[in-house]
Amino acid sequence: MTVGEAGSAAAPEVPAPLERVFDQASVDRAARENGLDQVGVRPRLVPYLKDLWTRRAFIKVLAISKAYAENQNTYLGQLWALFSPILNATVYVIIFGFILKVGREGIENTIAFIVVGVFMFRFFERSVMAGAHSVNKNMNLVRSVQFPRAVLPIAGVLAELTVLGPALVVMCVISYFSGFLPIAGTVTIDAYWLLLFPAVGLMWIFSTGCAFLVARWVAITPDLDNLLPHIMRVLMYSSGVIFSIDRYLGQFSWGWIVEYQPVAVYLYLVRSALLNEPAYPPDGTMWLLGVGWAAVFALVGFVVFWRGEERYGRD
Amino acid sequence: MTDIEEVDFEVDPEDLDNSPVVRVPSDELSLLVNDLHVSYRVFGAKKVGHGPGRKQGPLAKLLRRGGRAPAIREVKAIRGISFAARHGEAIGIIGVNGSGKSTLLRAIAGLIPPASGTVHVASNPALLGVNAVLMKDLSGERNIMIGALALGLTPKQVQERYQEIVDFAEIGDFVNLPMKSYSSGMGGRLRFAISASAVPDILMIDEALATGDAGFRAKSKARMDEIRQAAGTVFLVSHSLATIQSMCTRVLWVHDGQLVMDGEPKEVCARYKTFVQEKKKRAKTLH
Repeated sequence: MTVGEAGSAAAPEVPAPLERVFDQASVDRAARENGLDQVGVRPRLVPYLKDLWTRRAFIKVLAISKAYAENQNTYLGQLWALFSPILNATVYVIIFGFILKVGREGIENTIAFIVVGVFMFRFFERSVMAGAHSVNKNMNLVRSVQFPRAVLPIAGVLAELTVLGPALVVMCVISYFSGFLPIAGTVTIDAYWLLLFPAVGLMWIFSTGCAFLVARWVAITPDLDNLLPHIMRVLMYSSGVIFSIDRYLGQFSWGWIVEYQPVAVYLYLVRSALLNEPAYPPDGTMWLLGVGWAAVFALVGFVVFWRGEERYGRD
Repeated sequence: MTDIEEVDFEVDPEDLDNSPVVRVPSDELSLLVNDLHVSYRVFGAKKVGHGPGRKQGPLAKLLRRGGRAPAIREVKAIRGISFAARHGEAIGIIGVNGSGKSTLLRAIAGLIPPASGTVHVASNPALLGVNAVLMKDLSGERNIMIGALALGLTPKQVQERYQEIVDFAEIGDFVNLPMKSYSSGMGGRLRFAISASAVPDILMIDEALATGDAGFRAKSKARMDEIRQAAGTVFLVSHSLATIQSMCTRVLWVHDGQLVMDGEPKEVCARYKTFVQEKKKRAKTLH
């Protein structure tokens, strides 16, 4: 029914639109008398949190399903969840560890150092990307059922955590056995390994906060999605994933910014828990920073996401 | 708009009865829509509006270029719709393709925020559409879990109703296969079964019944009647006037984002039928 069609003489007749608008006072009264709630208004923060809490089973099922669906269309299936990060780490170990040798300066066990860095950074990167796509890629779900949209970024990151679980085991195994090679420093299994769990936990909370932030930004401005991979690349090189920040960037006056930014802090925490690197001793300040960053990003991210609640699904 | 519609405006006597501002009818309301406007943001669109684009030669295309088509367009899908619905009503929505029926449903369900105007509802409505694929890579079983949990059921309730949903959808062993292997009819039936499992106060169905066979249609009609009797309101979008007439107590005719008729199914459907027939006749004469 374009204007052009209606313009020709034989156009079928449509009754004129009903020019009817209820007056605001009677709408308000009717809504009150019948106990109606307005649709499409952002819920208040506390009821929103409560609603979110009642949906925790939904979050869990969504996350596990997503993690499963990820590698479903391949012959090797779920094994890719392990192969991909191993291959990824292998490339970095060969190029930066053995050819360029930047991963060896100030590091005793280069293989374990790079493997831990790549596995953990990959988790963070994929979590942020999952968050970025959480609203737009689930438009079908968003447009057919009403639920707190914060479910989507949370489930997206949780799916990555699910995938990370088995990968962590592989990461620990590789790190441990790399210690037997003559060229590398040993890795011992000790009580510090237990610190891996709180370190990954903090990183997970931090990643969820980041996912909230980018989820809102990308939902409103889809262009940002194209910038994200580049931002991630910059972040990778400024977080010491494949080389020691202290050795290469510590000499600059701004080196401390790079050293104490959240991603570098979490990599430090995981490495200090697993490896015996003299440059990465367990450090209380770093743990405090890790808790702080996680709390700040989770809170700010959640509030930022919630403030856009009524706009998701609009396109 | 065009001359034709303005003439129409003057001739049509029924329009004179509608003063611009009306009071809300006061029975027990379940839904109140007032002056609703919905617009979409479309990226990279060259043409705005409904229907096919005009054919252009290469020269015309070249001439039309030059900054006249901005990267983002606003498409006005709904342009000022107001109505109120009572408990127990089954409301059919008819209109040609692209007239804004599905958008209207989504806006009522709170899934697309309105550009202006308000929607008030008694409780959270559930929308059921054939397009609303849940996750096509996952099995029907997973989708039942996800869909039912998203509708707000508890995991325990989902377990209790799981078999009921599978039986209702008549998908049998296919429940363990990914949804992308389903026929469109099976997918539609499963979605209907999932949405109807929650017994929502307001159930909205978007063409879902078009995919079912006669047996399934009878079953879904029974289910809709059940929901209606539980003091709920049912909305049904369909191109089949027979379906609408057999299931609805009231019909809204949406055209070009506006409400053009609202009343008894018989009356509105008869008027709509003549409109469609005129349109068909015209389409034939053009060829």
